[in-house]
Amino acid sequence: MPAHTTSAEPDPSLAISDKATMAPPAPAGPILVASNISKSFPGVRALDGVSFDVRRGEVHALLGENGAGKSTLIKIMAGLYAPDHGEIWVDGRLLPADPAAAHAAGVATIHQDHHLVPNMNVAENILLGRWPTSFRLISRKTQQTLAMRALALVAPQLSLFTLARHLSPADGQLVEIARALSEELRVLVMDEPTSSLSPPEIDRLFSVVRDLQENGIGIVFVSHWLEEVFRIADRITVLRDGRLVGTHSVTALNTDAVIRMMVGRSLREIPRSRRQTGATALDVRGLTRQGLLHNISLTVAAGEIVCLAGLVGAGRSELANCIFGAEAYDSGEVRIGGKPLPPGNPAKAIRLGLGYVPEDRHLQALVETLSVSANATLAVLDRISRYGLLSFRKESETIATQAQALAIKMPSPDVRVSALSGGNQQKVVLARWLARRPHLLILDEPTKGVDVGAKAEISEIILQLAAEGVAILLISSEMPEVVGLSDRVLVMHTGRIVAELDRRKLSAEQIMIHATSG
Amino acid sequence: MRPVVSHRHRQPDGAAAERRTVRATSRARRQAAGQAWFDAIQSFGLLVIIVTGSVVLGLATPVFFTAANLENVLYSATVIAVVAIGETFVILVAGIDLSVSAVLALSSVLSVGLVVNQGLPPAMGIVAALLAGAIIGVANGLACTKLRITALIVTLASLSIARGLAFIYSGGENIAPVPHFFVFAQNAKVLGFPVIILFTLLLALLAHLGLTRTRFGRSVYATGGNALAARLSGIRTDRVVLGCYAISGITAAIGGLMITARLEAGAATSGEGMELTVIAAVVIGGTSLFGGEGSIGGMLLGVLLLGLVQNAVDLLNVPPNYDSVVSGFVIAGAAALDVYRRYYVEASLRRRTGTGKQASPSASNSRALESSEQASVLPDSLHDQATGGMSK
Repeated sequence: MPAHTTSAEPDPSLAISDKATMAPPAPAGPILVASNISKSFPGVRALDGVSFDVRRGEVHALLGENGAGKSTLIKIMAGLYAPDHGEIWVDGRLLPADPAAAHAAGVATIHQDHHLVPNMNVAENILLGRWPTSFRLISRKTQQTLAMRALALVAPQLSLFTLARHLSPADGQLVEIARALSEELRVLVMDEPTSSLSPPEIDRLFSVVRDLQENGIGIVFVSHWLEEVFRIADRITVLRDGRLVGTHSVTALNTDAVIRMMVGRSLREIPRSRRQTGATALDVRGLTRQGLLHNISLTVAAGEIVCLAGLVGAGRSELANCIFGAEAYDSGEVRIGGKPLPPGNPAKAIRLGLGYVPEDRHLQALVETLSVSANATLAVLDRISRYGLLSFRKESETIATQAQALAIKMPSPDVRVSALSGGNQQKVVLARWLARRPHLLILDEPTKGVDVGAKAEISEIILQLAAEGVAILLISSEMPEVVGLSDRVLVMHTGRIVAELDRRKLSAEQIMIHATSG
Repeated sequence: MRPVVSHRHRQPDGAAAERRTVRATSRARRQAAGQAWFDAIQSFGLLVIIVTGSVVLGLATPVFFTAANLENVLYSATVIAVVAIGETFVILVAGIDLSVSAVLALSSVLSVGLVVNQGLPPAMGIVAALLAGAIIGVANGLACTKLRITALIVTLASLSIARGLAFIYSGGENIAPVPHFFVFAQNAKVLGFPVIILFTLLLALLAHLGLTRTRFGRSVYATGGNALAARLSGIRTDRVVLGCYAISGITAAIGGLMITARLEAGAATSGEGMELTVIAAVVIGGTSLFGGEGSIGGMLLGVLLLGLVQNAVDLLNVPPNYDSVVSGFVIAGAAALDVYRRYYVEASLRRRTGTGKQASPSASNSRALESSEQASVLPDSLHDQATGGMSK
């Protein structure tokens, strides 16, 4: 690390461009101002009049539950999305919604997934797309000098010639920061930078962040881990359901206060008696998948709704995939109604009475080239055929029954499933499993990307199924859904079940505390 | 044909909420109509091209509409059509089978050679040829599903192996005479129709029914359309893919028997380069190389169109070296139509439903593009930043 000058001038090695001297911002004033930003996606209001600013040399933490609007705000700041209303100003200039313009204005974003070219070395990645040339040929020497200058600031221990694919996630992240530094940098947005780092790597990252801070760079820090946030942040902004809950100095807050801001007070416990439950439908013992899931044991009884809560990346979908057989696991045992289910065999799971509504319906559930009715009957082809011949009569009976039961709105069962709205597509996926009458249904974010009306309908369907004796394993990031539907909640954190909350002890705050602190 | 309602006639947005559902439904219905309409254009369009092409050709040369010539066109289309049946199955599961022409040659030499050289009864020769096709098909399928090697490479390898085996077995010589059955089948007619043509149509009909009315056929479309979704719905996708390659091996072997009957010899050189014609016919017929979409009927039209082009080249005395240029343009045009259909239909589907997440980023991208034009006036040179911006 270079020695920091004591003068008020920023360290010139950080390449604060001469544009800054042309229009000097007020000291400690905001570099980036997002004013009154609104952004809607079909069916979802992702951001609603949110204002946010980043000052020189501060770490500003942006917090919120899954789906609170953090990612949308980050993408708007990076110029990837255009806001419906509101503006982004950087150093008093209006920032157009264009990634190149954000780049030019010195707003760099480090996304959760790394954006390095795997087969290029560190130096090439640092100067990606801006390789210095002489006589139209890339000048390796200049490239090394320039890359070294940037790299020395954040990770002097790395070699310039290591291929990016050989870097650890932590080192990859530092290379990305070096890339940001090799250009004029004003604001660095870091989206969950610590999610894949070990504690010593986090310490190293934080010391880099503090150096950047001292050089007058504004940092937006998105994280779910409150403990970290309190270590590094100067100010905290909390979003909930696309709205700004508040921006406060870190000294004015504590963990409980932040959790209350994230969860909101609107979520009251809905008192309801525990459902009648029957025999154990699902019994998972010691399920382990190297690096992802650690010794998971759980049971779900007939007629019971068990919810897996936790943050994105806690391993909930991986667990669902392993139980159903979409992915293999290393050790452990899954029993359905007492019968053992071998790993990696969805066909067998289905025969034992398992149904699975996966998280990403476009990728994992719908065959978009097929009709609504073909999609809805995909899991019951054995029941609508005899000697391998399909019975179109049985097929249309099946779709008619399900369309009525689930109130699927469609012009005809023969249109392509891609022609339906998100909510109706999700109902088609549900219909596929209801037509099989499963004993156990695994639902992974069943109301994701679905409008409010369909959300309520799907919740009703889940309750109805449980009342009919179907065992339900629900994965949901929506607190009202978790609190409103579950009999029991299992909270996951980094591939482990860290808490089991009974209906009586259930509250959004409790879930959040376990989910964020492990 | 139903007219597609143009965008200009759409009502402005912002109407009452309850009306929105109604409109969404009618919008979806309109889309479905649009989709069906476009699908129809592809098949119907082919038919129109074939009919007008025939008329033009008939006017250009009196030979075209003679029974002998038409029979010739159909006869030469039969082998390609039969091989293309199996290829359709493979392409429907998003695979590709390049080995068909070599399997055809191997089947050809085995079916005659085993009788002439090894003294097997003719029926056994035919069974052995079909078995060889099935074995190569299964091997292709296993390599694709179990070893997870790309279909293109797997079948390129088996193309080379099967053709090599055919040459080794025959020593590069044509094997003759063919058993009497081949001569008989080639010349047989039922009510004046050549049996070979009827047989081809029968196979096509069976394949069509297999694809549209059986559990296996439905699984083929599902696997090709979204293999992961199909597997998570309990379909054993590996078996489905394996089955498709086996079918392709068998139909290629049947094609080998048919070409043997036509040439009256078992030849290791038969059908060289035919795999590309077969794939072209399938794709021209509207089967998507991405899998999940297509039909046997479309494939037959594709075969017919290619046969017609070949016939035109022959009849119109196009210099022989130009014929491949002409077929090349026909293939390129058909493939362009497929891509156009994919993008046009799907983009308009998204635009009109406005559902799903895909709709929003594309909308904001287009907005971002507009604003990037405004942004371009800003002084922005990456090169300057890389060199000048790093001063010190």
